[in-house]
Amino acid sequence: MAELTSFSYRPGHSFIHKIDTRFKLLFIVIIGFSSLKASMSGILLLSLIAVCGLVMVGISLRQVVRDLYIFIFFLIFIFAVRAFSAGGVALTNPFGMSLTYDGLIEGSLVCLRIILIVLIGLLFTSTTRTAEVKAAIDWILRPFPFIPGGRVATMTGLMMRFIPVIMEQARETSSAQKARSIENRKNPFYRMVKFSIPLLERTFYNAGRISMAMEARCYSGKRTGQKLSSNINDWISLLVIISLCIISFLV
Amino acid sequence: MNKYSDLQMMVYASLLAALMAVGAYLSIPIGPVPIVLQSLFILLAGLLLGRVWGTASVGIYLLAGAFGLPVFAGGTGGIGRFFGPTGGYLLGFLPAVYIIGLMSEKRKNKVLTDVFAMICGSLLIYAFGVSWLKVITGMELNKAVAVGMIPFLPGDALKIAAAAFIARSVRPLIGNGRS
Amino acid sequence: MNIIEIKELSHMFSDGTLVLDNIDFSVKRGEFIVIAGRNGSGKTTLLRHLNGLLFPTGGTVLVDGVSVSENPVRARRVVGMVFQDSDTQIIGETVREDVAFGPENLCLDRNEIEQRISDALKITGLISLADARPHLLSGGEKRRLAIAGVLAMKPEVLAFDEPFSNLDYPGTRQVLKQIIELHASGRTIIITTHDLEKVIAHADRLIIMKDGKIARTGSPEQIISDTEMFGIKEPYFSRMGLGMISWLS
Ligand SMILES: Nc1ncnc2c1ncn2[C@@H]1O[C@H](COP(=O)(O)OP(=O)(O)OP(=O)(O)O)[C@@H](O)[C@H]1O
Ligand SMILES: [Mg+2]
Repeated sequence: MAELTSFSYRPGHSFIHKIDTRFKLLFIVIIGFSSLKASMSGILLLSLIAVCGLVMVGISLRQVVRDLYIFIFFLIFIFAVRAFSAGGVALTNPFGMSLTYDGLIEGSLVCLRIILIVLIGLLFTSTTRTAEVKAAIDWILRPFPFIPGGRVATMTGLMMRFIPVIMEQARETSSAQKARSIENRKNPFYRMVKFSIPLLERTFYNAGRISMAMEARCYSGKRTGQKLSSNINDWISLLVIISLCIISFLV
Repeated sequence: MNKYSDLQMMVYASLLAALMAVGAYLSIPIGPVPIVLQSLFILLAGLLLGRVWGTASVGIYLLAGAFGLPVFAGGTGGIGRFFGPTGGYLLGFLPAVYIIGLMSEKRKNKVLTDVFAMICGSLLIYAFGVSWLKVITGMELNKAVAVGMIPFLPGDALKIAAAAFIARSVRPLIGNGRS
Repeated sequence: MNIIEIKELSHMFSDGTLVLDNIDFSVKRGEFIVIAGRNGSGKTTLLRHLNGLLFPTGGTVLVDGVSVSENPVRARRVVGMVFQDSDTQIIGETVREDVAFGPENLCLDRNEIEQRISDALKITGLISLADARPHLLSGGEKRRLAIAGVLAMKPEVLAFDEPFSNLDYPGTRQVLKQIIELHASGRTIIITTHDLEKVIAHADRLIIMKDGKIARTGSPEQIISDTEMFGIKEPYFSRMGLGMISWLS
């Protein structure tokens, strides 16, 4: 496997798969901003719904935890910094720092907020095809005068297509060098250079080939775009999301 | 940079963006903390593609990540990543690659210019990264610098040196693959 | 009228190497041509002139009566090219999207594009892989995907550069069958190779290249016994005097 992460698109026919990508992106923004204002229980409510979504799409929570373990260290670090640096009455004073009740609350709030955003990001990633994301990028960039949305979409597609290829080549380069005992060379400068030059050389070579293949298939800036379509379900989900966010302020 | 067609530059920028995504998973072991290669490719995007296409390359990478495509390390994608503690570094890549491209385009193939450009670029990344880290975690500035900058400086120095060397040998190879 | 006419074509690379030297030949509609020659004889360079990836430094190339240098875009619509290396020819993130790439570039409307995608996938037998990611395909599947991507643009001429390189036995059979069917359906086929055994029985004409020149041209029966002079292995059935035998039989 040459995938970057285990979190990529999962084919499926769930309700979330069917929502228009533009609406999904809008939901992420709405929920993101609401989480800044929402109460602790509000964020918990939203996270619970996101978790239900993940389960519905068929992602095991155990896998999420396993793959995000570095991220969890991160959260613990942030929690600690927050918990020890807020004002208020100290509960205990380990190592000369004061742990306060306010700090604990604030730390949990920040962490929950980050978890919520990660969860909905995951939900989006696993239910949306690259092609749909490309179409949405094109659509969103359309009103900006100096950014060619179609071209940005094509470039995004190329990047996604060649990530696994480059990953594979990086592994090949690395094992070829291991076979020649590069590990005996401790000088990191030498290793960085010796590893990167062949990788870049191949990447640029491939890029030359690809540009030629694109030319052969009549590529120009002008081409048929992806079609996006929204229906009544998208608008209903928008209403539901907005109501949920309002509830999250109140609970 | 005008030697190459727009299409060619576009593909170079896209593939370098892919390399940035992969770079987050590539590391060279030294001591207990391995050096992650991602920022090496950010520096190289500026040196090899110049201001316009270097920025486009980083822009595509960040945009794809912001739009929820799985390109960021650790599997946590989406716009939320920019609001996380490392969001500032990601955002700092953009001005960094722009300034590196701008400066190295001015005087082509001069190692000292390249190195100076990369130092400026790296400082920009830290300016964005550390100040955002400070905001998000509520640390004081000196602590934020101690956690979010100082430990990475030796690795950065190494990367800058390596990038200057790599750029010199890769520049003549750009354009291969079309014959 | 001939679909392709090449007159006094020369190509000199910027470093001064003369890779094509005064090439003259034409291709009739519906013809099946094999261009053979050893490594470096200029086959790939010649093919690239047919759809304007390279332009002549001397002479002209006419595709469907129009000069390629003047209108490369038109030439690219007429001549579909399947490259030697399929990996860098596949640009979509899924099989379906890759096939869509060409028709999208032709600015066709969505329904037409969908129709062409399903036709091309059916012809190449890739329907069941429509949503697969290209880097997970086998070598043979990749080659067929490259062919599907070109077919969806409905070119009149299909040019294959070393279509059997890196393919195993079943992969080669599938691709060869594909090519023969495409020819039977009326398309003009041009194949370059240094391995005549596989295709020569199906060809109408054989062109042998050496050092950028056309060394021999004629019907396969006539000139196949000359091939070894030019560093190309003569197929065993011809050496044995058995006539032309299809590799598929
Ligand atoms: N850009 C270039 N600049 C200079 N020489 C080149 C260039 N591209 C190709 N050549 C030379 O042109 C000659 C013909 O190359 P070409 O790729 O057309 O041969 P070929 O018949 O396709 O060989 P093969 O069987 O190896 O694919 C080779 O000697 C090659 O070195
Ligand atoms: Mg060749």
